[in-house]
Amino acid sequence: MATEKELSDFLKSVEKRAFKRSIYHVRDEEAALDIVQDSMMKLAEHYAEKPASELPMLFQRILSNTTLDWFRRQKTKNALFTNFNEFESESGPDEMDFLDIKSSENETLMGESAEQNFSHTQNVQEIEEEIKKLPARQREAFLLRYWEELDVSETASAMGCSEGSVKTHCSRAIQALYSALTAKGIKP
Amino acid sequence: MTPGFKSTFSTQDIFARRVVQELDNSLDDLPHHVSERLRVARLRAMGLHKRTAEQLAFSPSIQIQNGVATLGRGPASESGYSVFWEKLVSFLPLIALLLGLMIIHEFQNDLRVRELADVDQALLLDDLPPDAYTDPGFLKFLSVPRESVESAQQ
Repeated sequence: MATEKELSDFLKSVEKRAFKRSIYHVRDEEAALDIVQDSMMKLAEHYAEKPASELPMLFQRILSNTTLDWFRRQKTKNALFTNFNEFESESGPDEMDFLDIKSSENETLMGESAEQNFSHTQNVQEIEEEIKKLPARQREAFLLRYWEELDVSETASAMGCSEGSVKTHCSRAIQALYSALTAKGIKP
Repeated sequence: MTPGFKSTFSTQDIFARRVVQELDNSLDDLPHHVSERLRVARLRAMGLHKRTAEQLAFSPSIQIQNGVATLGRGPASESGYSVFWEKLVSFLPLIALLLGLMIIHEFQNDLRVRELADVDQALLLDDLPPDAYTDPGFLKFLSVPRESVESAQQ
């Protein structure tokens, strides 16, 4: 069973990434915060007896399911629901406004001047926008695999698909990001 | 797209890690109200965890082994305080048994003393003086069966 400190440390380590992941999906800050809070509370309430080693996988699953639940509720509330189908299936990138800000290339994070810092922020914004543009399954696979550092089998388990699908989703996501960022002159 | 990029897995891997590195670096730039809201959410979750853990501690656990479900003790019974009381309770039947035996022994003893007292009382109230019991002839008379005495008299 995870101790109070283990759970607290774990939540502290994932909360910001979880918020970002949620906002990439739902694109609404309040909704993303609610999703993260619900996920944390579900983990704490229903999986209190689980060992600390199982928390990352459980939390990723809960977060994904809570996000899906949010989309379902939105679908019920609004007839004009667009994102859920994208989340469920492999469709093309959705339409959204895109801030066309060009950034300077080959900037390092070390010793940033104010101008460099501004450029870096813009780079991150561009990257985030491109991540938001990815099809949901590709985005989910990419973020779980590389950002949450789950291995292929864990990612497959969290997404409820095969390992082959995870590899395909990741590969496509990286190719799409590479193409889009390179076209904008951004090299992470 | 660079032709080699698609086919080289390690290149993709390196690129992906650079992208998430950028994302990681941006985490510290979250607005204060977002960080604060996340902190509050975490504290709420921890409060819920504490309550759930307490409930788990006081609820009995069901252990399933070899297809047999056993209603077991809750995790709280593992604390020293509970173990002491459980051991004490497990000794209660033994203590009750010992107490019962002692009471029965006392009762039987008391009964025997009362019977002897009754005999003594009967002897003392009898017409026969107690000194007669010190007479060897009388003792001989008592040891001889009554029927043989009556037949001898006849």
